[in-house]
Order: sequence, then C-alpha cells, then structure tokens
Amino acid sequence: MPDIILQGLTKTYTKGATPAVDRVSLTVPHGEFLCLLGPSGCGKTTILRMIAGIEHASGGTILMDGEAVDSVEQSRFVPPERRRVGLVFQNYALWPHMTVARNVDFGLRLQNVSPAEREARCRDVMTKLKIADYAKRYPAQLSGGQQQRVALARMLALNPDVLLLDEPLSNLDAALRLEMRAELRRIHETFGTTIIFVSHDQWEAMTLATTIAVMDRGQLQQVGTPDEIYARPANRFVAEFIGNPRINMVNLADTPAGAGQGLAAHLIRRLPAGAGAVACGIRPEEIRLVPDVSPDALPVTVAGIMPTGGSWVIELAHGEDRLFFSTQSRPRLKPAETVGCLLPDEALHLFNAEGRRLTIPGFGLSEAA
Amino acid sequence: MAMTLDLPTETGHRPTLSRRLQRMMAVMRHEPALAIGAILTLVFAYLIVAPVISILLQAILVQAGDSTRLRQEEGALTLYYLARAFASRMSGILLWGPLVNTLSIAAATVTVSVSLGVVLAWLVNRTDLFGRSWFATALIVPFMLPTWTFALAWTTIFKNGVVGGQPGWLQAMGFATPNWLAYGTLPIVVILVLHYTPLVLLIVGNALHRLDVQMEECARILGASPRVIAFSIVLPLVRPALLSAALLIFADCIGEFAVPYILGLPVNYDTLSTGLYRALSSRQTGVAAVLAGAIMIMGVVTLMIDLRMMREARRFVTVGGKGGMQRRQSLGRLRHIAALLPAGVVLIGVALPLLTLFLSTVMILPGRFTPENFTLDYWIGSNLHTVALRSGILLTPDFWAAAWNTVRIVGIAAVLSGTLGLLVGYAVLRSPVRLIGQVLRQITFLPYLVPGIAFAAAFLSLFAVSRGPIPALYGTPVILILALVAEQMPFASRSGIAAMTQLGREPEEAARVAGAGFFIRMRRIIIPIQAGPLATAILLPFISGIKGVSLFVILAVPATDVLTTYSLRLLDYNYDQAANAVVLMIALIAWLGTVLIQRICGTGLARGLES
Repeated sequence: MPDIILQGLTKTYTKGATPAVDRVSLTVPHGEFLCLLGPSGCGKTTILRMIAGIEHASGGTILMDGEAVDSVEQSRFVPPERRRVGLVFQNYALWPHMTVARNVDFGLRLQNVSPAEREARCRDVMTKLKIADYAKRYPAQLSGGQQQRVALARMLALNPDVLLLDEPLSNLDAALRLEMRAELRRIHETFGTTIIFVSHDQWEAMTLATTIAVMDRGQLQQVGTPDEIYARPANRFVAEFIGNPRINMVNLADTPAGAGQGLAAHLIRRLPAGAGAVACGIRPEEIRLVPDVSPDALPVTVAGIMPTGGSWVIELAHGEDRLFFSTQSRPRLKPAETVGCLLPDEALHLFNAEGRRLTIPGFGLSEAA
Repeated sequence: MAMTLDLPTETGHRPTLSRRLQRMMAVMRHEPALAIGAILTLVFAYLIVAPVISILLQAILVQAGDSTRLRQEEGALTLYYLARAFASRMSGILLWGPLVNTLSIAAATVTVSVSLGVVLAWLVNRTDLFGRSWFATALIVPFMLPTWTFALAWTTIFKNGVVGGQPGWLQAMGFATPNWLAYGTLPIVVILVLHYTPLVLLIVGNALHRLDVQMEECARILGASPRVIAFSIVLPLVRPALLSAALLIFADCIGEFAVPYILGLPVNYDTLSTGLYRALSSRQTGVAAVLAGAIMIMGVVTLMIDLRMMREARRFVTVGGKGGMQRRQSLGRLRHIAALLPAGVVLIGVALPLLTLFLSTVMILPGRFTPENFTLDYWIGSNLHTVALRSGILLTPDFWAAAWNTVRIVGIAAVLSGTLGLLVGYAVLRSPVRLIGQVLRQITFLPYLVPGIAFAAAFLSLFAVSRGPIPALYGTPVILILALVAEQMPFASRSGIAAMTQLGREPEEAARVAGAGFFIRMRRIIIPIQAGPLATAILLPFISGIKGVSLFVILAVPATDVLTTYSLRLLDYNYDQAANAVVLMIALIAWLGTVLIQRICGTGLARGLES
C-alpha cells in the first residue's frame, strides 16, 4: 500500500532564513485525492517538489511505500527519475520540440517497454484524455486545455504511484475549469492513483479534493475533508482563508467586558464568562435577518447591496461595526433600511489568544457534531 | 481515513558533520551541474586565469635576457618595467604617446559613432524614411565586415610615398596625399566609426523598438511637442542602451589592433595594442606586460561603469511594454532628402570599401582606370610573371590550404566554445552551490578585458613549452584552438547563460520525473530545445574567429597558416592584389555566417549584443 508519509519535513533555502516548509508531518493514504491549500508563498509547491524529488529536504523524511526516498537523518536521497511519481507543472512544461505523441511516450521509451505495448499504452491514455487526434501536433499548436491534457497524459502513461499536480486549474478559463475538474475526478476514479495537488484557490480545492491540507507560512494548519475545514476551522487563519465572501471576524479582545453597544460587546455578553475567546467569527451565509428588532436581534442598517450573480452580498452596519451577509435568494431590502440581525450560537466560531479554535461545553456547536 | 496531523514540535539536535556530509553526497550524486561546474572552473582557470596572471606577473618579474642588464636573477621581483614604461626617457614613446593616441581614437570614435548611430536609429525605426527597411539591413553590413577590410581599402586609395610598395590610387593619379589623410588618427577614427555605428544602430534601435509607444502618446495628449517628447521621454528611456553601446565601443576601440596595425604601424604611429605588439616583437616582454596591464585596467574600469549603469537602468524597466504598435513620424517631403544620410553611410561604409578592394584585385597598376589595366589574373590567372604566387588566388594551393586551416581551426574552436558556453549556462543556473556559478560567470568574462594581443602573448609564454602533463603546443593548431576558445568565452558563456535562463528548469524537471537520467536529458531535451541558441553560439565565435587578427599574428606559424595571416604575409611581400582578394574572401565568409545567424534567430544579434 503506497502511502506517502511526510515526517517533520523542512526546507530552508538560505541558512538562518525562515524555512519555506516548516516541520510538516502528514500521511497520505493510497488512493487519496489531497489538496495542499494555502496563500502564495506558503510552501505548498515546495512540498510537492520535494515529494517529486526535484527539490531535496533540509530536514525530516519522506517515506513512499515504507521506503525513505528523502531523509536527512538517514542520509538517503532517491532521485526523481527513480521515484515513480508523475508531476504536472503549472505551466505544463511540455517539450516544445516533440510532438504530442513523443511527449507522451518519452518516459516509456526510457523504460525499455516493447514498441507494441508502448503504442498501446500511449493510445489508451491519449484516448482517455481525448488528445489522440492531436498526436502529430506540436505543443505550440495546442490550446491551454489541450496542453494540460498532454502534460497529464505524459505522466499517466507511466502509470505512476502518485500523481502530483501544481495548480491544475489556475491557467484555464472558466468553462475549461469545470470540464477539467470533472476530468481530474474521472482520472482519479479510473486510474485509482493517489493524487496530490497544490492550489491557492479554495474553489479548486473544495470541488476537487477529498482531503484538504491547509498551509500557511510553511506550516500545516489543518487537515480534513472540505466540509470539516469549512465548518470547523481549526484556527483563525483557516477560518479567514476559507470562505468567500470572507468570514466576519469580530475582535473581542479590546472591548471591556460587556460594556457598550458594539458588536463585540453584544457577543461578549452572550458568551459564558471567562471563556477566553478573543475573536469570534461568523460566516456571512449563517447570519439571519428578521424584519423586526427584538432583544435577540441586533439592529443593523443596510449599507450596501452587491449582486454577485446568483447570490447577493449585503453590507450591514451596526454603529461603527460592519457585517457581511450573503444570501442565495433575492433580498427584499432597501439601502438604509433598518432590520434585525440574528447571530445563532451554533454559527459562532470562537478563537483563543493563540488563534486556536475554542470549544465551550454547552455553548454553540458541540465538538461531537 | 488514517489522517494524522502533528503540529510542529521543536526538532532536536543537529545531525553530526559526517551525517551531513553523507547526506550532501547522497543529494549531489544526482546533481551533475555541480561536477560540470567544478570541471569547467578548473578548465577555465587553466585557459583563462593562468594566462592573465602570467601576463601581470611578467610586468614585475625579471624577464629572460634582461638579467644581465638589470643585474638581477631571472624571475626576481623588479619595478624596472613599470618604471621604464611610466617614468623613463622612453616612456613617452612606450606608454604615454600610445595612450594618448588610443584614448583620442576611442573618444572620437565613440562621440561620432554614437551621434551618427542615434540619428540613423531614429530615422530607420521611427520615421517613414524612404527605403526604410532596406536601410535597416544595409546599414548593419559594415559591422559584419572585419575592420581591417576598411583599413586595406583606405590604403588602397590613400597610401602615399612615405611607405614603400605600390602607391595608393590618388598618389598614382598624381595627387599627393598628405600623411594625416593617409595614416594615423583620422583614417583610424573614420574606419572605426564606420564599423561601430551599426552597433549603436542595433542596440539603440532595439531599445527604441521595445519602447512602449503609449508613453509617447500619453505625452502627446498632455500637449508635448515632438521635440519635448524626444528629449524628455524617449532619450532618457533609451539612455541606458545608449551608454551601454558607447562603453562597449570604447572598450573595443582600446583593444583594437588590426586597424592601427595597418594604418599606424608603418609610420610609427602607435596605439597601446600596436605598442604592445612592437614590444613583443622586440622581445621586451616586461614592457609588453605593463602595456597589457594598462589596457586591461582601462577595460575593467569601462566595464565597471557599464555594470553600474546597467544596474541603474534596471530601476526603470518600463522599456518592454506590450505596445507593439509603432507610430512613425512622417517626414513629409524630407523623407527623400533624409535618405541621403543613410545612403551616404552605406556608400562610404559598404559600397566604397568593397568596390575599392575588389577593383584593386582586378587592376595591375593602382589608380589607372584604362581597359588594358584590368585583369582577372589575380583571381584565376596562371603562369604569371611574378617571383612567387604564379597563379591567381583561387588557383593557389596555399590559399586553399589556409582556407581549410581556417575553417578547421576556427570551426573546432567555435564548436568547442559554443558547447562550453551552453555547459557554462547549465552549470551557472543549475549548480546548487551558488559560488561556483558566480565564479564561472566572472572567469569566462575575463578575456573580454584582455586585449587579444596580450592574451596571445600569454598563451605563447605559457603553452609554448611543455608544462606538467601538457606537451609543448607552439606550432600546433591546438594552441590556436585553445586561445580562440578562451577569447570567445565571454560571448559564448553569456549566450549560454541567457539561453538556459530563458529555458527555465521545468522542461528538464519534467524529464527527470518521467525517468530520464542526466545524459538523456541533455541529449533529448536540453540540446534539441537549445538548437537555435547553440547554433548562434557556435556561429558567432566562428565569424569573429575568422575576422580575428591579433591571436593569429602571434600564435600562427606557417604550418598553421590561416587566411588572415596568409593575407598579411601577402601584404608584407607587396602582393597587394592577392592580399586584398583573400581579404574579400574572408569578408564574404564572415558576411555569409552573419546572414545565417540572422536567419536562425531573427534579431538575435542585437539582443545578444546588448545584454
């Protein structure tokens, strides 16, 4: 069972500088479709390149199928050409001087596969990826989507144990993204390979991956299913990074206990005393609006309505505070209108001073849910 | 799902040194760039650094033959040569005079060629000049021809009675040409201007071409007149390119040997490089070393200034927008009259010298334009009534032997330097140890600062006798090939680095992941993709090698006769017609080669020169 196990994986480019990848430990079971998600520069691509072997670790170990392929402690390094991984580059990196067919069968030629079998395997992969018609063309004559299929076919022809993709959808236009998304899911099902891909785009991650590993500044922040990551962010970074429009984050630290009319004061009054929460988040779609202001419902004024095509984002003002509310149904609100706003307990995400998620027994979402 | 998440914990102790070394070995074993870089560094240390150091040492060590005069052991430390060159009765002749000549030639050449080049670049790139695109090509031709083609054409016309041999045309027709017109500063400057103006045209034209037209349009919308636009928008933006061209020309002029050799040496008009040659031929190696050092220092200073300028230029890298649209200024009725300027340059820079040289090869007596004076004997005649060279050049076995020698020696050197250049590019960009990349970059650029004559002299002293495992190389083609390779490395390595930068890492990484080892990656991915740049990196050294004079003058022997030395020897024996015919053949080869490069890589020549 070729699991991929990262143990304390670290990469430092210049001595003394902040590591690009900082002690990342992660187990990727066979057949997993994992996304390394994070803002640009968070080290996700570096991890991918280290798994491929075109970058070597400065610390830690990478185990593939139980064998250390890169280990600083064991002084081992298996070069990429012997790792049985497939890597699809963000800009595809097709060889411009070879036809599509030659690009695809390049790896097989190196493996002393018989010409007949080579032919058959290439044809099979190219047919599956719908590029068989372009076999005689050169990469420059293909569209971006076609080029990506060639880049995929080039790696899939080798039947790798694990397929690594760098930002697989980011260079495609909207229509192609949907098509390629389906394609990648299909590949995952038909070929059954482990797929690890890198993305800075949460849409890409949410729609493709079965598991998401969120990264920031070289460190792993949370690993979980798309649902888990969205519904129960492990820390403040994950809460704020995932979700569009962004989560409403209210700072509770600067407000004296329960004083005043502000949003923070309102929330603090509702929390059990001594909970230790310094920030409270609520997702825009979890806010409820009611026609009348009641003791539970906060009075808010509509400050702006922004249609985003099929959904609406509404900016609500409560004194100095701003909240964003999003809805799928056409809002019957007018600018400057005052309505009541409900923030349900179970929708509140609380974070402590270290930024970690805070669970208060008996309050809001119970951890067992 | 077995998914674990361990949050970072403090890692423990550092691994031991031997562990770390083992690990380094495990990784480096798969990074051939490091080994290549190390080997290349050694090779160039031997081919480039050793000669340069040996030249500089010669300036302060007692040279062979001087020990009795200096009453010092051969090889002992001495300040004699420095004192002799800088502060003795002789220093006016040895150093200061040539230095003044060199600097005034370089300064005059830079001033005139830059002003002329800018005007031409503007006319050709930014106006609706009559015959614009034709001029764009024709104006570059002088740069493809060896400088001494012009020098020989000049002597063919203006040579006077001061020097023996066949007189120039004007002299033969009864006009006494004054010395200042026949030799020295004026002709040398005119010729260098003709040769280097195309360089300005290429570099500045390229910058003008990349200038985003929207910036000019913006100024126009704000109400700026064309004059204001030219002086406050366009000129400041192309200034880095302009300065770069000026400094390149300055550096090249300082090292120029062939033109003053032909137009100065016969009348004892010395520049630093001919002075160096004179010192070498009169066995004053110590003084020669001082002169070489002086040329090198001037080259270093010029290039340091260039580097600083380029760094500053990078601050406003606006040049290079996507505004592909070019607006050309209409010259109105002036477009025909303005064409007279480039037409004049083409006439004087291409037509006149080539025609003169050609006519000189088909005329028996110079300057006599009567039908019976014309003959093709010097090309294809046989059984001529001469002491030697009894048949035309094209029927002389010596000529073909020299031609074959040239193609063989220069060809091998060109292939070697092109390949080494690409390998340097590979090592510089791929080596995991940054230091090796930087060292390689600097070493391979070093020969640019060393005048060819000085380099040849150093090669002679270093490799003429057998040292260690290397046998004596003097008189063999090997020494010429090595010297040529070393001399061409600045260009070859730069184009190699540029090509590898452009290629990026990814095609090779993709091949690694697909299972390709180093040699397969080289053979199937890197070299095929780089075929174009590689061809250029081979052809460019080939052309400049064929045109080159200084290395051959010192290092070639009759057994390794090449076209340049062959033509110079013919000249020495006053077979002017034959000599000029050989020169024309060299010019033809050089021109064909350049055309070939342009075909392969479009405007690559201009780009290669600027970076």
